[in-house]
Amino acid sequence: MLSFVGLGLWDERSVTVEGREILRNADRVFAEFYTSRLMGTDAASLAAHHGVEIEVRDRAGVEQNPDPVLAAAEDGHAVFLTAGDTMISTTHVDLRLRAHERDIDTRVVHGTTASAAAASLTGLQNYRFGKATTLPFPYAHGGEGVPASVSDAIDTNRDRGLHTLVYLDIKQTRAEYMRADMAAGLLVDGYEDALGVAVCRAGSPDPRVEADRLSALAEGSFGDPLHLLVIPGDLHHVEADALRTLAGAPDDITEPR
Amino acid sequence: MGRRKKIVQECETLMDAPDQIRNIAIAAHVDHGKTTLTDNLLAGAGMISDETAGEQLAMDTEEDEQERGITIDAANVSMTHEYEDENHLINLIDTPGHVDFGGDVTRAMRAVDGALVVVDAVEGAMPQTETVLRQALREGVKPALFINKVDRLISELQEGPEEMQQRLQSVIADVNDLIRGMTEDMDDVGDWTVSIQDGTVGMGSALYKWGISFPSMQRTGMDFGDIIELERADKRQELHERTPLSDVVLDMVCEHFPDPLGAQPRRIPRVWRGDAESDLATDMRDVDPDGEVVLMVTDIGVDPHAGEIAAGRVFSGTIEKGQELYVSGTVGTNRVQSVGIYMGGEREEVDRVPAGNIAAVTGLKDAIAGSTVSSVEMTPFESIEHISEPVITKSVEAKNMDDLPKLIETLRQVSKEDPTIRIEINEDTGEHLISGQGELHLEVITQRIERNQGIPVITGEPIVVYREAPTSESREVEGISPNRHNRFYMSLEPLDDEIVEQLQLGEATMDMPELERREALMDAGLDKDTAQNVEHIHGTNILVDDTKGIQHLNETMELVIEGLEEALNDGPLAAEPVRGALLRLHDARLHEDAIHRGPAQVIPATRDAVHTALMDAGVRLLEPIQDVRIDVPNEHMGAASGEIQGRRGRVDDMYQEGDLMVVEGIAPVDEMIGFSSDIRSATEGRASWNTENAGFRVMADNLQPETITRIRERKGMKTELPEQIDYF
Repeated sequence: MLSFVGLGLWDERSVTVEGREILRNADRVFAEFYTSRLMGTDAASLAAHHGVEIEVRDRAGVEQNPDPVLAAAEDGHAVFLTAGDTMISTTHVDLRLRAHERDIDTRVVHGTTASAAAASLTGLQNYRFGKATTLPFPYAHGGEGVPASVSDAIDTNRDRGLHTLVYLDIKQTRAEYMRADMAAGLLVDGYEDALGVAVCRAGSPDPRVEADRLSALAEGSFGDPLHLLVIPGDLHHVEADALRTLAGAPDDITEPR
Repeated sequence: MGRRKKIVQECETLMDAPDQIRNIAIAAHVDHGKTTLTDNLLAGAGMISDETAGEQLAMDTEEDEQERGITIDAANVSMTHEYEDENHLINLIDTPGHVDFGGDVTRAMRAVDGALVVVDAVEGAMPQTETVLRQALREGVKPALFINKVDRLISELQEGPEEMQQRLQSVIADVNDLIRGMTEDMDDVGDWTVSIQDGTVGMGSALYKWGISFPSMQRTGMDFGDIIELERADKRQELHERTPLSDVVLDMVCEHFPDPLGAQPRRIPRVWRGDAESDLATDMRDVDPDGEVVLMVTDIGVDPHAGEIAAGRVFSGTIEKGQELYVSGTVGTNRVQSVGIYMGGEREEVDRVPAGNIAAVTGLKDAIAGSTVSSVEMTPFESIEHISEPVITKSVEAKNMDDLPKLIETLRQVSKEDPTIRIEINEDTGEHLISGQGELHLEVITQRIERNQGIPVITGEPIVVYREAPTSESREVEGISPNRHNRFYMSLEPLDDEIVEQLQLGEATMDMPELERREALMDAGLDKDTAQNVEHIHGTNILVDDTKGIQHLNETMELVIEGLEEALNDGPLAAEPVRGALLRLHDARLHEDAIHRGPAQVIPATRDAVHTALMDAGVRLLEPIQDVRIDVPNEHMGAASGEIQGRRGRVDDMYQEGDLMVVEGIAPVDEMIGFSSDIRSATEGRASWNTENAGFRVMADNLQPETITRIRERKGMKTELPEQIDYF
């Protein structure tokens, strides 16, 4: 049996009660923190908190050599942990498929995730989000500036009046986390006056949400990671109210169209 | 005012008169007397004393050059010469003749418009004569001939006027055959063969400082008979005084070599692929001193006081101190600290160097030999390094760990000065690899590190650089990214030899405008559709994109290329470079989000696809081979040919030449390591020989596994070969 358990967004207490019970009762507990991580804790504190041993796998240990995880799931009950939800924005469906190839039962215990937090903290309606995209560090995608797929996603969404959730690159091995001001800076070329919403430390006790023109956000400073950025499309009047009230958006750019 | 100072002033005046400038190189087979000849010219121009010319070897400025008696780096010098009542500025580059230093010769040819080819009257045209001629003609550099060591014909071989003339005529005929063959397909030059009657052939003795040519005979009234008489009577000083070598040669240079105004309009289209209609092209063709600055760097030297010095040809504009110039292949500009010209081994600072001259510039910290330096960003000149590929590698370690940073810096410097040297720096093990043209090449480099930088080093045994090449077509194979969300479908076919050769010569590169590249590839035999879809060229390998309309592939292609290059640099058999592979990308399936098709996914996926395709295409190890020529007395002929055959070599020809037997053949470079001492002892030191890199050859099948295992062990790789796994 292989259970995928999402740990939620912030620290050892962000997991659901159900997730907590399952991970405490498992025979083996694996985790990966290269796609994202819990900024409010670390693997050791997490293990101590739950009273279990956690085997952290790196990218190669999940993608190229998943055998130990699958073998443990064949022998007993294995749990695979990630930050957020194990199946959203990550590629772990591949691991689940590999388990099914070996006739291993699987289940998913959801955790709350950044895409949910983006809607719930900003007041932007989840019905009105289009395609999401990730903005990579310029050195990491082999080209210059912003990859075409990122601007394509934003443009297509904006044409249809939809919001774009922009995940920001994480280089876990180098402890580099792209921040909202850098992301806004990268996007300023082409979207200078567009409205952007920085969502910072979602899930923590002091999240910060700030809406302004991208050119203004690029000059801002929003504190510790993790951050993400939303590029809103057309605003519903309640969305506009929410951005002004909850995110300090300037009046002149949040007039409902 | 000192004599030297006066020459510098004369040079400065002449720099602005391009019709009075000649930029020339002296090139020859090793030991045919280039450097001695150059000294004569310097003495003639009053740069060194007359008595010491021939012994001084002023051009061999490095200690090891004077010791070894051969020229290793190309050296620059400027001098003045009066011809037909007009003063001329002659910028001269002396080039090495030893085959290991071919890169220096090629670079020197870029800077000059005329090449004085020196041939030994006794030995005649030799393999390296052919090579330097080819290097000159490829650059559109006009040749003239000087036949040296004529004194030996008279004094040693006791030849009479008729025998002598016959011999000289046959040398000239051999050289002309070479020139004719090489210029046949060049439609931008006319008849460049040389002849005594035209005055494009000089003859004489660099050692005894006399020379003769058809015009000089008319001027001095001295003919062959007079020369033979004086030489036989041992009146060489009188010979020198009556018909000095330097006058003969320098007159020939002024009369027959083109000035920059005549040469550049022809040479620019040959060496520069930029827009022929642009203002920049006009500036260069017109040698315009007021145009944009364009300098082609042909040599990087180090001066203990001034630091790095970039020497090269100014094709247009005027270089001055304080200019901010772009260096090809790097970002931003470099500021010119000083400009100068060369006098012998020394540099003289001047205020400015205008178009048409050879300049020495400091401050160009990003420049390497081969860089294009200019006042506006421009298409760089054709690369000049593709003719020679490194075939031998040696490891270098610092004896004291403290020297490590200094060693790394020195190695980087070395590869800047001589781009035919490749350096691989391994910061982890401290063991660095330098690769070059031959044993001597590497030996000289390592000695310089020890002597000039005072860094004691430990060097490993020389190691041969192999290649890996496909032998058949592969099936379509799949490369899967670690997260399995990205897949690439490729197949591979071997490229024809003709295309490989053209790629190696740089006849088709990614720097060229697309249309020109496509035509060059089609000329070499690639079909039209394939040539149209070429996405990348790496070494002698080509990537063709046969996909249609795949979303996101554009922004992923950089990574595909990166993975491809990794795979081709380290082939699947023994991590040696791959040669002659045509890869076709047929299809790709990509993840929607950029982050899930980043470098960590795409690079391994393409690397796997390329290696799988290579294995499926029957990849084999190739080894470098050398042409070997041995000149040896009859009684040692058996021993000499035995030395070739005993080294997995093949003797192709044996024939008599004069009183010596010539043995010609080929042998693998690997077996040729240590050849020089073996042949010496086998022939009691009576043999002289010459080797020249002659490309690569598939190793015999029975030697493959053993060699591959040996290389893998040395590189610390797993010794079992990658399995021919069924990936389908």
